[in-house]
Amino acid sequence: MTEITISPVTRIEGHARVRVWLNDEKQVERAHFSVVELRGFEKFLIGAAVEEAPRITPRICGICPTSHHLASAMAVDQIYGVTPPETGRKLRELLAHAQCIHSHAIHFFMLAAPDFLIGHDAPALSRNVLGMVKQAPAIARNAIEVRKLGQRITEAVGGKPIHPSNAVPGGMSRPLEEAQRTALLAMAKQGLAIAGEGWALARTLLDATDMNLGAVETGFMGMVRDGGYTLSDGTVQITGKDGKPLGSFTGADYVQHIREYSEPWSYLKFVKLSSGEHYRVGPQARLNLCRGMGTPLADAALKEYRARFGAFVQAPLAANLARYVEFLASCERTVQLLEDPAITGTKVREPAGKVVNTRGVGILEAPRGTLIHDYTVDERGFIRECNLIVATCQNSWAIDRSVEQAARGLVTDGVLTEAAGNRIEMVIRSYDPCISCATHAIGKRAVAIEVLDAINI
Amino acid sequence: MKIAIEELAGCSGCTIAVLDLHEALLEIVEKAEIVYAPVIMDVKEPPEGIDIAFVTGAVRNRENEERLKLIRKRAKTLVAFGTCACYGGISGLSMLDSPEHLIQHVFRGVTTTEADAVIPSDVPPFLYRAFAVGDLARMDYYITGCPPKEMYLKKILPALLAGEVLALSKKSVCSECDRIMGSVEGWKMKRRHEGVPDREHCLLGQGYLCLGAVTFGRCGASCPHSNVPCHGCNGPSLDILREPCRDIYNMMIRRIADLTGHTEAEIEKEMYDVAHTFYPFTIGSLIMEDKGISKIRDLVRERSR
Ligand code: SF4
Ligand code: SF4
Ligand code: SF4
Ligand SMILES: [Fe+2]
Repeated sequence: MTEITISPVTRIEGHARVRVWLNDEKQVERAHFSVVELRGFEKFLIGAAVEEAPRITPRICGICPTSHHLASAMAVDQIYGVTPPETGRKLRELLAHAQCIHSHAIHFFMLAAPDFLIGHDAPALSRNVLGMVKQAPAIARNAIEVRKLGQRITEAVGGKPIHPSNAVPGGMSRPLEEAQRTALLAMAKQGLAIAGEGWALARTLLDATDMNLGAVETGFMGMVRDGGYTLSDGTVQITGKDGKPLGSFTGADYVQHIREYSEPWSYLKFVKLSSGEHYRVGPQARLNLCRGMGTPLADAALKEYRARFGAFVQAPLAANLARYVEFLASCERTVQLLEDPAITGTKVREPAGKVVNTRGVGILEAPRGTLIHDYTVDERGFIRECNLIVATCQNSWAIDRSVEQAARGLVTDGVLTEAAGNRIEMVIRSYDPCISCATHAIGKRAVAIEVLDAINI
Repeated sequence: MKIAIEELAGCSGCTIAVLDLHEALLEIVEKAEIVYAPVIMDVKEPPEGIDIAFVTGAVRNRENEERLKLIRKRAKTLVAFGTCACYGGISGLSMLDSPEHLIQHVFRGVTTTEADAVIPSDVPPFLYRAFAVGDLARMDYYITGCPPKEMYLKKILPALLAGEVLALSKKSVCSECDRIMGSVEGWKMKRRHEGVPDREHCLLGQGYLCLGAVTFGRCGASCPHSNVPCHGCNGPSLDILREPCRDIYNMMIRRIADLTGHTEAEIEKEMYDVAHTFYPFTIGSLIMEDKGISKIRDLVRERSR
């Protein structure tokens, strides 16, 4: 049997490889998306003073540190029995949207778009954001500008643009000053204008793309608030692959709905529904589950998205567009929050003290999907058990099946060309997998695409 | 000028920190050609003839080690970029457990896993310990920070590319902090989440474990500025790096004792969870562990028993 390897999969966060096994007739026998790193957070957080978790867990991932920071802080709020005041809650929501602006902008413009704008079969050296700087400088500049908005908000509200520090048990460590608000609001309006203009490009992005590439069918999971789109403070809904509701949860009851499992060829854990059915999370899942986005530009974009793909979308490549719809929603919601007089309130934190509950479960929608931080502590607040459910693990079965589906169509006569290999990677990229999040990096591999003969497995 | 970014065991935050130069990045890519950076481009292996390579992340398995050796060979100048590369960073906390325990726990020991779940076998194994990159290869420069901050990178990177060496502040976080000491009468140790600190006075003086005095600066004392104690993410201060008899833990205890008039023994009794509060960013560093007075060895031994 012959094995073809793409390693590392590039333009994704973290490192992973694709392995394709061919039988003697040079047909694809099977293919896997495999991750060669392991996260140890669930173990090495044991014993930690739980209030350190919101500062340690952002280091799981440098692209979505804010999501970990917030989910962790929410769990610790519950443990110390404190509820953030209104302004504290709104500042956290602002952070959650700033996270999506930066992460979606990186993914859409810098990681995924080069495949569509420069061409998925263009030379590897130009098929990236640097190529875009040369070939589509206006788009590259806009991408830099909107992403900067996300990072500037995170810095002003969260303390630092990467690995923020200011979500503390009971709220936020400092209020937002009026001068900061004014400056951020001006940036946010400009960002929103860029995002709005960008839709003209985004909506056509998939026009020439075979939407069948990497097709899979699964159920979906995502948070909604009163049936509408939200990133936090909502109910997590689950549907089967036929779109029928399969239940919901808001806290520790998540345990009744999902189970984790593992495979010998990957450090990435897999998550499925307790019924055994597989599901996906992330932009596409959230759009499949919500009634509407709640803001005008995003709602108009959602309407177009649905007119094109339907109200319940299975094709993985559609996630590229779903992500843009969310990006619009986050830009709009950011302007709303910054215009809200409560955002500069000075009561941002309820003082915390002793342990009130020995368990806390923080749930939030991270850019890549539902994120759960579940801590159990002793009576002094030292962690005894820790469970982290991150987006990429919940998508790992779908990614893996998409890879095999795509490989079957792309290996011809036992050969996977560089361009065809990149098409497999394109499908992977549509999921925007985050390997650091999913495993935490403790090992990485990189070799060129290679065909190894006669590997016995 | 050809530059590269290699990623070992880290979070990609250091690469994002480079993207966080925003439009200033455009000037850099005008002068320098990025030839290898797997997070943003499809080149699958570092080419020969790299002028400056930045290596981010720590070394935790054999593969990290091989990547490090390869990039050392292919780059004229190699820069340890970020606290993980310089001191092991957060990945170093995995030293608190043996690799076997860690893997067993992650796949079989958490709430939503099964006791008989598959343990991945067709994957690269761990090294017996974590390393900072400087523990295993010669480095030309170190840039600390988790991640390094924009305002410094804007100065450092253009200078590096121009072949210049800058004289930058080498002081501690305290030296960048605007807080005043105030009274320390009735000093009592507090957990970092307890109550609400006042904005004017030194957090350490208020009873919070703020590591500013033992931590290398260049973050503008970002956390104390936001009313949050420093937890040392820039790595150790210069005096601790230079003096064998100085370590993060003993210097903090000495500082609190000087400040409060309590004996060191009394102060030590108040400390809790030393691994995650004092050493979350340095526990994987061989240099830090090798200090005779470091607590790291005890902490690792205690946990892996
Ligand atoms: S130093 Fe910090 S930002 Fe850089 S890779 Fe390590 S954890 Fe991430
Ligand atoms: S100990 Fe902390 S609060 Fe006090 S001066 Fe130093 S950095 Fe500032
Ligand atoms: S104050 Fe301390 S923890 Fe905060 S960014 Fe600076 S070095 Fe890191
Ligand atoms: Fe992530």
